[in-house]
Order: sequence, then C-alpha cells, then structure tokens
Amino acid sequence: MTEEKIAVTSESTALPRKSFATFPVTRPTLALLLSVAALILIVPPLLDALYLRVFISSVIFTIAATGIAVLYARLGLVSLAQVALVGVGGWVTLRMWHATGLPFEVNMLTGAMISGVVGMLIGLPALRMRGLFLALITLMGAAGFQILVTGTQFPNGGEGVLGIAVTSIFMPRPVLGESDEAMLRYVCVVAVLCVLFVELNRRTRPGRAWALIRKSEACAMASGVNVAFYKAWGFALAGFIAGIAGALLAATLGVLDATTFPASESILLFALTVVGGAYNWLGLVLTGLLFRAAPALLNDIGVNGHLAYVIFGAGLLHALITAPTGIAGQILEGLKQLTKRRVGR
Amino acid sequence: MIAIRDVSVSFGGVLALNNLTVNLADSVVGIIGPNGAGKTTLLNVFSGFVTPACGSIRAFDTDLLAMRPHQRARWGLRRSFQTEQVVDDLSVADNVRAMLDSLPVTSRSERERQIEKALTYVQLEGKADELGSALNTYQRRMVELAKTLVGSPRIVLLDEPGAGLREEEVDALRQTILGIGEQFGAMTLLIDHDVEMIAATCISTVVLDFGELLAFGPTAEILKDDRVKAAYLGIEEAE
Ligand SMILES: Nc1ncnc2c1ncn2[C@@H]1O[C@H](COP(=O)(O)OP(=O)(O)OP(=O)(O)O)[C@@H](O)[C@H]1O
Ligand SMILES: [Mg+2]
Repeated sequence: MTEEKIAVTSESTALPRKSFATFPVTRPTLALLLSVAALILIVPPLLDALYLRVFISSVIFTIAATGIAVLYARLGLVSLAQVALVGVGGWVTLRMWHATGLPFEVNMLTGAMISGVVGMLIGLPALRMRGLFLALITLMGAAGFQILVTGTQFPNGGEGVLGIAVTSIFMPRPVLGESDEAMLRYVCVVAVLCVLFVELNRRTRPGRAWALIRKSEACAMASGVNVAFYKAWGFALAGFIAGIAGALLAATLGVLDATTFPASESILLFALTVVGGAYNWLGLVLTGLLFRAAPALLNDIGVNGHLAYVIFGAGLLHALITAPTGIAGQILEGLKQLTKRRVGR
Repeated sequence: MIAIRDVSVSFGGVLALNNLTVNLADSVVGIIGPNGAGKTTLLNVFSGFVTPACGSIRAFDTDLLAMRPHQRARWGLRRSFQTEQVVDDLSVADNVRAMLDSLPVTSRSERERQIEKALTYVQLEGKADELGSALNTYQRRMVELAKTLVGSPRIVLLDEPGAGLREEEVDALRQTILGIGEQFGAMTLLIDHDVEMIAATCISTVVLDFGELLAFGPTAEILKDDRVKAAYLGIEEAE
C-alpha cells in the first residue's frame, strides 16, 4: 500500500514537472484558499436567513463574473451581456425542469450549454470589432434579452413552449442543496469547479492562444493561432459559466423574474468585475460580494442601498486610474510585499 | 525557392511596394533599405497581414497568398517582429509551446523534444520555466527566435532581430542565424540595418528603396554597388 503510493508520487512529480513549476501555487494564494474553505464551513450556520440568501446570490454572481473575467483578463474584450446570459441559463433550466423533471444537474448543464451558444453568437461581431463597438453590440444583445423576457416572462410550469402559468410552480432545489445552508455550500462547490475549469483552460492550449491574441493578433496569427476560433471559444466559455450561474439562481429561488435581468445589471456586473479584480479568483469573490452583499449591508445599517452605486462609481474610477488589477490585485500585492519584508529581515 | 512576382502594396498615397519581382534561392537572404523602404511591408505580405493590390508569391511550389495567415504558419512560415512579441505572463517554454499548439506535431514527447532543442539552440535551456517578464532584451529576442524554429519551419522571416542588442549579443545572434539552415532546414530572410550582420550571414541580398527593387545579387557585390551606397549606406553615414 505504502509502496504503491510512493511509486505514484515519484512518477507524477517526474513527468509534468515543467507544467507545475510554471504555475506555482504561491503561499498567499494557498492561505487565502484555506481561509475561504474554513469560512464556507464555519459561516453558514452563523448567518441569519436573510444573509444566507444574500451570500448565496453573491457566490452565484461570483460565478457569472468568472465568465466576464475570461473575456476581460484573458482576451482584453469587454462583454456587457453577462447578466442577460445568466437569464438565458435560468430560462432554459426552468424550461427543462418543467418539461422533463430531470435532475437539476442535467438541466443546469443544458442551460449552460445553450447559454454558451448564445454567448458565442453575441460575440461573433468580436471577430471583427473590438473596444467600444464590441461593448455596444453585446449591450444590444443584453437589451434584446431584456425586451424578450419582459414580454414573455420565465417558464413557471404552464403550457406551451413559453410555459407560463397563472400560479407559479416552483422548481425544487438540487438534492444536495435543499436547505439554505446546504445551498450555500452547493453554490460554493460549483463556483470552485467553475474557477478550476477556467484555470484548466488558461493553462492549456486555449490559454496560450488567448495570451498571444492579447499580445497582438498579428503575433497570434503568425504563431498559427486561429484567432476567430479562440475568441469564439472565450465567448462560449463565458456564456457557459453565465448559464451555470443562471441555473443556480433559478434553483435557489424556484422561479425567476424578468426584473432581475435588465441590461443595466450586465453593465454593473462588468464594472464591479473591474473594481474587484478580473485577474484572480479573489477579485471575483469580491465582485460577487460588492454586487449583492454590499447593497444589502448598506440597507441593513440604515443607508439607502442606492448609495452603493455612488461608492461603486468611485471604486471604478479608482480602479481605472490607479489599480488596473482591481482591489484583489492590490491586496495580493500588499501580501507579497509583507512576506518579502519578513524574509528580508 | 521563393518567387515574388509583381507584388504591389499602397497605403493611401504611399507606394510601400511597387511591382516587386525577385527570385530568392539562397539559405539566408538579406533585405536592406532605408527607413520606410517597404521591408516590413514585404514580410507582412508574406504573413498575410497586408493583402497586396496585385502579384503573387510562390514558395516551394505553394501559392503562399492563397492561404489564410494562420494556415501559412501551419504550412511552415515563421516570423519574428520588429518589436518583439514575447508574452510576459507565459513561461519561456509556453511561449514556444504556443507555436506548436496549432501545428500537426502529434506526440507530446515530440513537442517537448522540439521545445528543448530550440531552447538549447538559442542557449535558453536553463530558462524554460521562467516567465517572459523575467527576461532581458537579448533573451526576449532569443525566445522569439526559438519560437520560429519549432515544428519544421520552411521559411523564417526575421525583422531586425538585432535591434537594441549589444555588440557581443549581436555576435551571438549572428552565429545563431547562420546555423538555422543546417539545424532546422529552413530558409531565412533577414531584415537588418547592421551591414556587418548582413555581410556575415546573407549569401544574397535584396535592396529596397521607396518600395522599388534597387538591387539584388550576391551580398558582397551588392554592398559595393554605388547606387546601393548612395541610397542606403550614404544615409547611414549621414546619420
Ligand atoms: N499599416 C500601414 N498603414 C499605412 N502606411 C503604412 C503601413 N505600414 C507601412 N506603411 C508605410 O509604408 C512605408 C513602408 O513601411 P515599412 O514599415 O515597410 O518600412 P521599413 O522598410 O520596414 O522601415 P523601417 O526600417 O523603419 O522598419 C512607409 O512609408 C510606412 O509609413
Ligand atoms: Mg520595418
């Protein structure tokens, strides 16, 4: 038994040594990962019902922001349709469940895949456009979804393709997330899986292609990269992840409402991704908290929740002017300085 | 063997290349000319970043211009850029690996072998795991060069690889360029402003001036040519 283990470890360290050395897990990252894991275990029982729900939806929008970050941090592209794509994923998941009654996970993956396809279609202009024009196109996609879904509403157990009923039937939670506490853990696990899936992409062929495209498209083409394909891949991945978030939101609430998915929310989530930091997962956690927990917290201490927008605006200015890697970038940089100083002493 | 026929490129009113016709056959061919002569534009036509108004380029019996840019890379066209394009947040090995990703090199071990060979050839074998951002100017140029050498290159286009290098680094670069044909089987087209570099590495040389072919022939003869001296070397002296 022990011998077997040793054999396995020595082999696995010998083979992909290079690829591991290329992406070291730094000590601050490890420490943060552990503390988040500890928080997930300790915090849920301590929260009251309201904050449990607030944190569930914070994590869900952390997942959505992970998709924004793929496009923004890896490809330098701005997509203002992410919350709309969350809506697409939610719509398909609800539609699937009411039509088939299949387990939640199956419906979630279906919703994610369709949302990925829609994301790719919205991103198609990106093959020719960039910057402001691309952002506007994606925003039009978001506005289009807003109009459609306001007109039709989300499926809630009725007849026909649209599936609208007068009294809503609620989609049940996944088996592993029936209570709010369990659901919080469930969304956290899915969030980690999503971050790891993106990380897998980043460290392999798509990630290298994205890095070259970000450097310059000429450089990418000269390296044999099919630029159109890998941009489309980025949009599909971002849409897929938005779809996952949408499915989780639908599961948490049982029904969805069109007012949750206006185009303005897509803009806000993008802005907060820049503020939180698109370049690592800590920034995405912050994004989720800013998007959902900050307004709730302000309300709680008696401040009008809309004041959050003013704070976000100031945060965005700050990020654009002094902190291109967001709050998370600043925190990690600070940690690095701290450890360096301690070693130096 | 590369046959360039009647290639013309204009940007607005500027004729960057004017009916360029020339046959290149030597293992290392130089391209010289004053600033703005059209040298980079010619490489951009090769790469497919610029579509010429007319003309054709046949390389080893393939119509190069019929392929899309990334397909040309897969076919065996390689290039480095006047401003180097090493990606800072990829490791040295990954910078090179990115080139192999889209090539039909099937086995993983073969890929790793080629990356190692290329990095060893440019003497960066100890730097494989370092990030691009950790490299100095010379090392960055060498990473770009290594990138052009993996995956059976047929034509390697180098756009001023010696720019910004110190003298001893230029010497090392010279040796590196000279070995490409023998070690990797590729034909090299070299743009450089350094006449000594051209004289030491290029068997024949193309001289461009305002998009026109001013002269073409064995490098030694070309560098003695009075018209070339007037158009190109004279300008260098004046600078
Ligand atoms: N994309 C472009 N758009 C407009 N004009 C261009 C473009 N690329 C090149 N030119 C013009 O074409 C001419 C040739 O430029 P090119 O870059 O090929 O010169 P070069 O020989 O490489 O010069 P250098 O030695 O300075 O690199 C110049 O007048 C340049 O201004
Ligand atoms: Mg040039």
